[in-house]
Amino acid sequence: MIEICGLNQSYDRRGGYTLRDINLTIRERAVTALVGANGAGKSTLLGVIANIVRPLSGTVLLDGEDVRRIKASAAAKKLAFLKQTLRLGIRITVEELAEYGRFPHCGGRPRDADMEKIDDALRYMKLSELRGRYLDELSGGQRQRAFIAMILAQDTPYIFLDEPLNNLDIKHSVEMMKIVKRLVAELGKTVVIVLHDVNFAAAYADRVVAMKDGRIMSEGNPEEMITKDVLDRVFDHDFNIAEHGGRRVCLYY
Amino acid sequence: MLGLLRSRRKRIAITALLVILSLTSLMVGSLGGVTPGALAAGDKTAWSVLWYSRLPRTAAIILSAAGLSAAGMIMQAISRNKFMSPSTSGTTDAAALGLLLSFVLLNRQPGLVQLLFAFVFALAASALFTTLLSRLKLREAVYIPLVGMMYGGLISSVTTAIAYRFDVMQMMSAIALGSFARLGSFTMVYVVIAPLFFAVLYATRFSIIGLGEDFAKNLGLSYKRVVFTGLVIIALVSASTFVSVGPLPFVGLIIPNMAASFYGDNLKKSIVDLMLFGADFVLVCDILSRLVIYPFEMSVSLTISVAGGAIFMFYLLRRMYVGKKREAA
Ligand SMILES: Nc1ncnc2c1ncn2[C@@H]1O[C@H](COP(=O)(O)OP(=O)(O)OP(=O)(O)O)[C@@H](O)[C@H]1O
Ligand SMILES: [Mg+2]
Repeated sequence: MIEICGLNQSYDRRGGYTLRDINLTIRERAVTALVGANGAGKSTLLGVIANIVRPLSGTVLLDGEDVRRIKASAAAKKLAFLKQTLRLGIRITVEELAEYGRFPHCGGRPRDADMEKIDDALRYMKLSELRGRYLDELSGGQRQRAFIAMILAQDTPYIFLDEPLNNLDIKHSVEMMKIVKRLVAELGKTVVIVLHDVNFAAAYADRVVAMKDGRIMSEGNPEEMITKDVLDRVFDHDFNIAEHGGRRVCLYY
Repeated sequence: MLGLLRSRRKRIAITALLVILSLTSLMVGSLGGVTPGALAAGDKTAWSVLWYSRLPRTAAIILSAAGLSAAGMIMQAISRNKFMSPSTSGTTDAAALGLLLSFVLLNRQPGLVQLLFAFVFALAASALFTTLLSRLKLREAVYIPLVGMMYGGLISSVTTAIAYRFDVMQMMSAIALGSFARLGSFTMVYVVIAPLFFAVLYATRFSIIGLGEDFAKNLGLSYKRVVFTGLVIIALVSASTFVSVGPLPFVGLIIPNMAASFYGDNLKKSIVDLMLFGADFVLVCDILSRLVIYPFEMSVSLTISVAGGAIFMFYLLRRMYVGKKREAA
């Protein structure tokens, strides 16, 4: 379980707070979608939970342990975090990237069991055919999927994905969300995912957490969150809510 | 079996070449008439020249070349810059400064003390330079070797000033020229074996570091610790090769670049082949330096500079050309 208590964060003190008094419990074996406008602090929150960004105050408990006390090598077996911007400084293949995902378990010397996990991850992401290709010779969406394959190979109970639908076309976005659902249903993972499309959040998440100006504005099930009232406040935008097949969808254009 | 052979084709070719070149290297030289015939006939002088002169020399070539190639590759991985190497980051120059200081302060010392001096200075210089680079955030990768060579030049001028002040210029020019024929103490080159072992062991870590600090942390790696390990490996390799054979410019720069164009940047896949290939390259250069003005020999630094410089220019120009194209797109 992940429990966040009284979290405050600021990149530089004069610039004001990026995160203000965040209290949140992330539900186990469920998909939690994090939504909010650009600059709301979503990536920063994930960074603090993953112990990559230092908070000013507050604690994050991962299975009852303060994340800042957990050794990096142990944390890497519990929590995998895919950053929003993936700059690639080196030339490696899809398979090699997925193999790096196994590093916390095998220390760079994959055994048969590790190779199986790598194969599974590549199959899950439909990359088996592309496994030998260099990442810089792939399309943006294929590359994005390769990074997610790495996260899957890491095989942690907690998975944080910061805007994983970047660069994915509609078909692959839907497929991606279905994979996320399967991760929860079949493998019992806990997934936190930053999404920009509220409709995706409504359709695939079990919980929706909305952030604005470093605070959590509201949090709830998709039915509670996809209302004109909530969305207008979170995004400062005029939303229209429509019904389709018994599900609410929002129109924002 | 056939599949294994095919996947290992490059390594087999490089290794076969290494064997041929090593044998050639053992037979070439002006002294003692070392020929297969003489050896087969049990000629005492031939065997002793082979044992006391040729073998250590060939071993020194292979080890120092392998070491510098691996050190360059690690340096390029941790700095994420294809133009970093011990000779373009002041590391080699600092090793020279350390070596000179050991002469000036303590007179002639056993190899191990010289090595220690060179190592400490090389480590400090490369640590300082990597820190500087991460602060400076230079946009254009091609400037980095230029800045590095300026930095190295600065260290060298300090070295020269000290050598001048203490009247040891002659010794300085002797140590500043790489040669596999000098001093007779190749023993320190065997020190390279230890860092090479760790280079292979840590290969995957260095590659992951190349993906960035957060990325490394997500996989449970301490960025700083891996970078420091890399710098120690680089400094140890630079110091031990410098103390025993002198500077071998370009090896740590071009061999990793050549390897990367065949294997990509996954060090685990490339590091062994890279070391063997580096050894091939320096063996060829050394054999050439012994043959060009036979029965005399030129400094191997010179041969390497000519061959390596040309290859480096190729990579530099290609980078600039590709960079331009990317900007245009
Ligand atoms: N490394 C940093 N240094 C200083 N300020 C930062 C840094 N990263 C983010 N910020 C600032 O913190 C605030 C929150 O940024 P954050 O990246 O968490 O937002 P976000 O909700 O993920 O936005 P987006 O939807 O655009 O990804 C922004 O105002 C941003 O300018
Ligand atoms: Mg973000």
